[in-house]
Amino acid sequence: MKKILILLLSASILVACSDDFTEIDPVGSLSDASLQNATGVDLLLTGAYSVLDGMRNGGPGADWTKSGDNWWLDAISDDAHKGSTDGDQADLLLIELFQWDTTNPYFEGRWQALFAGVNRANAVIDLINNAANPSDFSVQKAQARFLRGHYNFEIQRMWVNVPYISDENYAASEFNQPNSGPIWSQIEADFSAAAGSLPTSRGGSYSEPGRPLASAARAYLGRTQLYQGKWSDALTSLESVINSGDYALNSDFSANFRSAGENSSEMIFAIQFASDGGQSPQGNRGGTLNMPIGSMTGGMCCGFYQPTLDLANAFQTDSNGLPLANWSTTDISNDYGVYETEAHTPHSGPLDPRIDFTVGRRGVDLNGFGPMSGKDNIRASFTDISGPFVNKKNLYTAGDDTNRGTGGWGEQRTGINYHILRYADVLLMAAEAAVESGNLETGRNYVNQVRARAKNGPRADASPNYVIDTYNSSWSDQAAARNAVRHERRVEMALEGHRLFDLRRWNIMVDALNTYISNEGRTITNFAVKANPVSAKHNALPIPLNAIDQSQGALSQNPGH
Amino acid sequence: MKKAFLVVLMLSSSLIFAQDSISGSVSDENNNPIPGATIVVEGTNTGVVTDFDGNYQINASTGDQLTFSSLGFGSQTITVGNQNQINVTLMSSVDILDEVVVSGYQTQQRRSLSGAIGTVDTDEAFKTQVTNAAEALQGRVAGVQVTSGGGPGAAPIVRIRGYATTNDNSPLYVIDGIQTTDANVMRDINPKDIENISVLKDGAAAIYGARASNGVIVVTTKGGSYNMENTFEVDASYGISEVTRYPDMLNVQQHADMTWQSILNDGNSPSHPQYGSGPTPSVPVFLNVPMPSGPEYEGAGAKVSPNGTSWFDEIFDPASVTNVSLSASGGSEQGKFHLSANYLKQEGVIIHTGYERVSTRLNSEFKIGDKITITEHLNVTYDKEGTTSGNPIQNAAFSSPLVPVRDTNGNFAGTYSNSARVGIANNPVSDLSRGANDYNKNLRVIGDISMKWQITPELLFKTSAGVTMRDLNGRYFTALNPEHGEAISNNTLSEQSFRQDEWVVTNFLNYKNTFGDHTLDLLVGTEAQKDNYKGFGALRTNYLFEDPSFYLLSNGAGVPVISGASASSSSIFSLLGTANWSYGGKYFATATVRKDDTSRFANAESDAIFPSGSVAWLVSSEDWYDSSVFDTLKVRASYGELGNQQIGGSNLDVNISLLSEGSAFYAFGGSGGATAGANIATKGNPLLTWETMTSTNFALDMGFLDNKLTATIDVFSNETTGLVAQDTQKISTTAIDAAAPYTNLGSMKSTGFDLSLNYSDTTSSGVTYAINANATRAKNEVTELISEFYSGGSQRIGSMTRTSVGEPISYFYGRNVLGIFQTAAEVASHATQTGAGVGRFKYEDINNDGVINDNDRTKIGDPHPDLIFGVNLNLAYKNWDMSMFWNGSIGNDIFDYTALYYETPYFFNGNRSTAVLDSWSPSNTGAALPALSETTLNNEFSTSNSFFVRDGSYVRLRTLQIGYTLPDTFASKLGASSARVYYNGSNLLTLTDFTGLDPEVPRGGALDIGVYSAQYPTNSISSLGINIKF
Repeated sequence: MKKILILLLSASILVACSDDFTEIDPVGSLSDASLQNATGVDLLLTGAYSVLDGMRNGGPGADWTKSGDNWWLDAISDDAHKGSTDGDQADLLLIELFQWDTTNPYFEGRWQALFAGVNRANAVIDLINNAANPSDFSVQKAQARFLRGHYNFEIQRMWVNVPYISDENYAASEFNQPNSGPIWSQIEADFSAAAGSLPTSRGGSYSEPGRPLASAARAYLGRTQLYQGKWSDALTSLESVINSGDYALNSDFSANFRSAGENSSEMIFAIQFASDGGQSPQGNRGGTLNMPIGSMTGGMCCGFYQPTLDLANAFQTDSNGLPLANWSTTDISNDYGVYETEAHTPHSGPLDPRIDFTVGRRGVDLNGFGPMSGKDNIRASFTDISGPFVNKKNLYTAGDDTNRGTGGWGEQRTGINYHILRYADVLLMAAEAAVESGNLETGRNYVNQVRARAKNGPRADASPNYVIDTYNSSWSDQAAARNAVRHERRVEMALEGHRLFDLRRWNIMVDALNTYISNEGRTITNFAVKANPVSAKHNALPIPLNAIDQSQGALSQNPGH
Repeated sequence: MKKAFLVVLMLSSSLIFAQDSISGSVSDENNNPIPGATIVVEGTNTGVVTDFDGNYQINASTGDQLTFSSLGFGSQTITVGNQNQINVTLMSSVDILDEVVVSGYQTQQRRSLSGAIGTVDTDEAFKTQVTNAAEALQGRVAGVQVTSGGGPGAAPIVRIRGYATTNDNSPLYVIDGIQTTDANVMRDINPKDIENISVLKDGAAAIYGARASNGVIVVTTKGGSYNMENTFEVDASYGISEVTRYPDMLNVQQHADMTWQSILNDGNSPSHPQYGSGPTPSVPVFLNVPMPSGPEYEGAGAKVSPNGTSWFDEIFDPASVTNVSLSASGGSEQGKFHLSANYLKQEGVIIHTGYERVSTRLNSEFKIGDKITITEHLNVTYDKEGTTSGNPIQNAAFSSPLVPVRDTNGNFAGTYSNSARVGIANNPVSDLSRGANDYNKNLRVIGDISMKWQITPELLFKTSAGVTMRDLNGRYFTALNPEHGEAISNNTLSEQSFRQDEWVVTNFLNYKNTFGDHTLDLLVGTEAQKDNYKGFGALRTNYLFEDPSFYLLSNGAGVPVISGASASSSSIFSLLGTANWSYGGKYFATATVRKDDTSRFANAESDAIFPSGSVAWLVSSEDWYDSSVFDTLKVRASYGELGNQQIGGSNLDVNISLLSEGSAFYAFGGSGGATAGANIATKGNPLLTWETMTSTNFALDMGFLDNKLTATIDVFSNETTGLVAQDTQKISTTAIDAAAPYTNLGSMKSTGFDLSLNYSDTTSSGVTYAINANATRAKNEVTELISEFYSGGSQRIGSMTRTSVGEPISYFYGRNVLGIFQTAAEVASHATQTGAGVGRFKYEDINNDGVINDNDRTKIGDPHPDLIFGVNLNLAYKNWDMSMFWNGSIGNDIFDYTALYYETPYFFNGNRSTAVLDSWSPSNTGAALPALSETTLNNEFSTSNSFFVRDGSYVRLRTLQIGYTLPDTFASKLGASSARVYYNGSNLLTLTDFTGLDPEVPRGGALDIGVYSAQYPTNSISSLGINIKF
């Protein structure tokens, strides 16, 4: 017994005397030191790509508020309603109705996700700057600058007066910077630098389609210049992309939204969503709500992101296959207010075939699931503001199981890539830059390339009356040309997250949206009654209140909010 | 060295002095025997305890001093002469100065105590069964605030002297020497095993150094007594609990009318899939909804209940509480023991919830020779906690009254389709029912073994090793819910498990001696502690059968997913010392110092010294003292520096990056597997160091009226510097998405007083009664911050709290509602307010710039009470006893965030409480709520404002107890020495203006105090029980 006592005694004293007893390293995590090598650069760089979809580490807002595909920003524009019933995601209802509270979680969710992106890119740049031989990592640094350019571009076009967080700011943890105005020059600098250092072709260690080529950086530079009205610079940048031969249009417009065609020649830069049989962490989590409901599609949810009547109307053509002159005051026939059990005659007038790759409407095939059934596929009721259509670009195609994601409620974390830049966009931007610089024929050429693809490509359904053609004669004047280019941009790029910003940079947002609200009210009467008037303050999103509160006075609110 | 030690040991066991055996009895002034009285030979660790007849036997030598003591009696010291028999009569005493108080590593008589240490009268607190030992602190110790944790098995939230940190404000628990900050530890101890609870409130806690700044709760468990007959105790009770308070909700006709009025107010023509269209709504007989497909739904309909479904009635159901404890204790000359077993089954007042616990304990002690004592405590507890997915209370609060619980085929009913416009809430009954087999199972072991070696009569060496281990295993199944408007298409099984263990090894030397009038009690020691945690979670989808017998991760058809894994450790090494000195029984002083070295901070900052000192003067023991006013008067003062290292994480000094599939991986190919990536998950702060609290305490202990009335008042001031919190202004919204670094960001001060009053007496007719009242005021103020302010967490309406200099921590912040606009002229004359209109809220123009916007936010409420109090009344007459215990909180506000769900149109198609009947209309201009609307206009319910701030004061009848002790004759027929039957009622009555479910708001983080968010309500329990001793 006494021996035991002695043992106990000695053991207890020994335990307390060990020197490194109070030095404990973290388990299962990476220290700064362990990242200071090539593997670390790659890990952080992948992390910088990862937040393209908005799914940052923690932070405010549900997945759908920070989504990288800008779906809810389309709901502000005349392209989309938020979808579902009014009470569902009431925060977004308030945004769509132009009651913009500075505490709205959608604003803060997207804001924080984008700054996460900027700073993850900064983390890579900072790490490379401090490496023994920074030049060993020029391609990685160029990718980081490309990504930072993208995140800052999104921040710029959403909030207008924005802070710029540089890699020096990052290194010094100086994250509270003033939002004294636009940061276009810094964005341009990133894309120019990326264009200079990114590989010009894929191959070897740089073969993955998710990484941008030098021409992608030039395309984004062109877009940045276009947003500033620098028409000739933009045209130069964009035409260098067109002339690079790196890209071409898919012969099938809809291939851009199917697994087989998403990473084809038309793709310049995309969020590479990938679904799997588990929780699909790389699927489009921000778009989880955006599937139609209804018995024919099986277990999908939740009926968000519905195209507007205004968008559907824009696909009307005249007998020459050109956009209908008075499309905005002419409604295509639709089944709003009619249950699927009641009769409905689909629109018989001429239509651009792209409508049925974009807008799901009753009686027309819904991405291979059979004819869209009408109300059964719509979650919203007839008193809600969301209308009778569903989104087709966002919906995976029946049998395209590679893109069918599980997780969340069911099969909505899709693998359909979101195109940040595709070649058709570059053509249309080049057309716009050309037209604005007075070079109408160049513009017509680019627009016609896009229309020719639509004309010659396959159709979504055999029954509708598709009539489409290219502009076969010169535009009468710059105004007509501008109108044609802008209209083409709308129907080609619909529901791809750009419409709101196009309207803003054309300085027509206030009038266009007020007109849209009143036109839409011809059918969805409650929408026109409930929506508040759009005014100049809506040209910038409000800076989130939490951002102002946490900035220690660095940030000030955008005018009017 | 070893040999020398052996020799000492052997000597010590063989040196037995010539001694005589002395026996006798101990009785009270009425000549009733006092069982369990302690007889100690002064200056040794020899001691015995009287048996049930008050008899004892002890070995002592002539000239030894024997001290006789028993709780509730004055002690007596007798010098042994020639006699073999010493009979002693102890006078009953309410003199609090005789109480033995556990002050940490030592015990002291209250007489000699100079710090602020509160004790719980455990006999009183545990006279009836309580389910969680921490409940014993509720209202019974001045300065301690206990808030119910909610659901069955949840640990109450304990705050000592309010808030003194931006950090975790939870006290340190010391269970028989084992230290932990895990509040759950209190639910795993059988309350019936607790002998003593002390609460160290001031610098006295400094002996626990770096973990002590939130106060320390020291729990000692029962250990039996030497030379004691074996006794057995059975305590059994059965009770019914129920929810007594919940909001009145609209019935279906009221809901229809409210819907109509809202649509009309917005200028639209009313139309609704359920209520039809036209001037008045019509309540449907069946819901107008498509039923899900499947054979079980064939021919089914969702029939609307006559008045609509009352969802609170559906989810709340009276529930039973069964509590059985068995214990045995006893002791011989050489050893003693206490063992017990407890079974508790507490059904939840919310259907399909509950808590079940089995705990066992063995405490024992034995002597090896005269000088060595070995002690052991072993507590093993197994519990099973039913978990709920979602928030059933929130769902019940905004589920439509149109939806029935089940359809006509007996399937659960639901919202079916969003276009049916019957809300978006999950049917809470179906959620609860489907989650009935979800659980967390815990196995906890708390145990220690120690050896005391009385090297000389003055010098004691003690070594001990203890461990607490918690093993959690959880299982949660998400079943398909075809009736829901957002039906899921994959069912999922999730499992979680972790193990947490903390061990501690303590060694100390204790020297006690008396030199003339001076008494010294010195202690020096070392302590090493280490905490380890490791856990993971996994989930899998696509289960063919929704049957618990099938719920294994291997049975799913989906891809298995590891949903999380983590591991961490932390350690502390400490040197500690304390010295107690007293002179003539009049002057007392204590000095304590502890040096802690922790793994939590970077090396340079990782050790710190925490000193404290206290003095006391027992004025009434002075020869010159005139006891005409006070019988007892004692003055105390203390000063101490205490640390707080209780901050969220183990390695806060370094940046931590993680390979995170969800937030850092990327599929560069657009399909297939993802490339691994990393992101910085946490920013470290190498400069981070301890929070240090400086505690100052002045106190008076007084006794009046022959000490029938005693009073203690402690006035305190706690100043905390280096407040630690996550610096969200450093990692602000424009920063990288890492968790903000923990930073020392300011100072705060908490001041106030604790007051307790006791009065007890026996009337001539034999009625014994006692009143114990205590009250605490603890007001805090932030005195320094490195940033202008910090905001609390953000919910649907943004952040609701703010912390800034000159204000209490976490005050409510938002727009101030002045009232409701009554006329267009009033709207026009007020500052420009977007959304303003007649019938809408009018906000105060705080900055007087003529525009209402975010710059017009201000302080709109204070979550900190002006006073918390408890009043305990005891009454006994012959065999009857009664006690009543009230407690309450006065002057605190509650931010009722749940009001968003049932008082506002935020979720328009859900139900509302009857509060909305008082909405503004031209005929109800004095309304409390603005005019009804379909959306949240005018920032009314989309940003924080004073509408949500409610008075949170309450007074609650916490317990009512009536007991009857069966006559001895009857008890002896049972073969028992005593038997008592009792009724116990808890939370029978609550007086409050708060309209939410429960004014007792469980506190979240220190920067979000007082935000009420549909927590599990406190319920009332009525139970009957019996206690038998053999």
